[in-house]
Amino acid sequence: VTGLRRILVVEDDPDVQEVTELTLCDVGGFEVRIVATADEALRVVASYRPDLVLMDVMLPGMDGLGALARLKARPETAAVPVVLMTARAQPHEVARYRELGCADVIAKPFDPATLSDQLRTIWSRG
Amino acid sequence: VKERLTALSSRYTLALRDYLVDGGEATLLEAYELGRTALGLKLGILEVAALHQEALVSALKLAAPPEGEKLAKRAAEFFVEAVAPHEMSRRGELEAKSVLSEIVRKLEEKVRTTQEELDERARIERLKDEFVSVVSHEFRTPLTSIQGSLGLLRCGVGGGELSPKARRLLDLAQRNVDRLVRLVNDILDLQRLASDGFVFDLAPATIGALLDQAMDANLAYAAQVGVALALGDVPRGARVRVDPDRFLQVMANLTSNAVKHSAPGEAVTIDAGCRDGFVRVNVSDRGPGIPAEFRHRIFQRFAQAEPSLDHGRRGSGLGLSIAKAIVERLEGRIGFEDREAGGTTFFFELPQWEGECPEPPSPGGRP
Repeated sequence: VTGLRRILVVEDDPDVQEVTELTLCDVGGFEVRIVATADEALRVVASYRPDLVLMDVMLPGMDGLGALARLKARPETAAVPVVLMTARAQPHEVARYRELGCADVIAKPFDPATLSDQLRTIWSRG
Repeated sequence: VKERLTALSSRYTLALRDYLVDGGEATLLEAYELGRTALGLKLGILEVAALHQEALVSALKLAAPPEGEKLAKRAAEFFVEAVAPHEMSRRGELEAKSVLSEIVRKLEEKVRTTQEELDERARIERLKDEFVSVVSHEFRTPLTSIQGSLGLLRCGVGGGELSPKARRLLDLAQRNVDRLVRLVNDILDLQRLASDGFVFDLAPATIGALLDQAMDANLAYAAQVGVALALGDVPRGARVRVDPDRFLQVMANLTSNAVKHSAPGEAVTIDAGCRDGFVRVNVSDRGPGIPAEFRHRIFQRFAQAEPSLDHGRRGSGLGLSIAKAIVERLEGRIGFEDREAGGTTFFFELPQWEGECPEPPSPGGRP
């Protein structure tokens, strides 16, 4: 693997943005770009070419599920793993997210000590 | 004839009043309809009687509770008796009709207030559900920032070594964030359980495997506070049909409750047995027992007795209500009893699953 793994974070709350960025950069050693809306994520994803998208389900405007569907529908982004962050999701909700193509579901609030390792297992699963 | 008619129509009135008081809503609506039909058609009393009988028979079919059925039958008999004498005076007919109109008026009133009450109750329930789910989501964003910041400081992202005192303070803050997260999760779970918004993924499983998992999940917390957790006799092969996650949630709530009320060095015992088609699971402690004044409301929300031994992990006060709601959704029952040598046993009973183990459900095949 050459260079840092790149993660695109889609999250609208500024404080959660900062905490997530510090977690992924300082603890995880990833390169991170943060956007606040699903629309922006869809705009930048082609040029940023992330190795993973970490996205909140509840977003203003288009929600995380809408963005997930669009990412999976585009050939150039279909292979990028998408991890959703949600409130306390029930098993049947998690099952639905997975059917939509999401690689993993992370409950909020997440633990900064383990988040990066959780994301790494997704790549190792291939 | 007149005397007999008066007596009979008052009996009829009484019978229908019983309806108003005890009858189910289906019965009530039927009775209302039949009364209105009779008056509206301005038929002779014999025709009215025939109509009534017809309507009452259909009410019998609709009215589920046996009392409603009994009353409907009685009312039908009374009315037929009342109009049996063929030479009914004009006066008798008027009296019968005035009795009827009185009944219809009361029924209308009852129907109206019942509907208003139901609407109001539904509105309040809806507001409450919305409120709970908004609160649960709105709490999560700030909690994520706080949890994140604390976790990052503990990971050393702040730079420099943390003094022991700073670390203690961070641990304290972390414990309380955890507690707040548990509280928010418990409130959301309870609301989902109450509103049937919780989807249960039911599958048969042996009680042995389920209790092994429960032991694994709860040993660490018990050990942390110096309480032993022991698995006693279990009919390992007996099966129950449960959602494993929800079963483990009940076990976690009962176990942490028992641990919380145990002194260090004491043991909490989990065991199980089969009886009368039910599998019963016991979680027993040697704690101080449940104060008499607290016993009747122990399963109520936010009910907590005297400050427990605590061990630094305060519960949300919702654990037992959640356990009760889950057990009841699984068609079981939950309770507690004093142990002879002191302490308390919390238990729950679930129907024993006798069926064959079906194919595992296909992914996405849930409702």
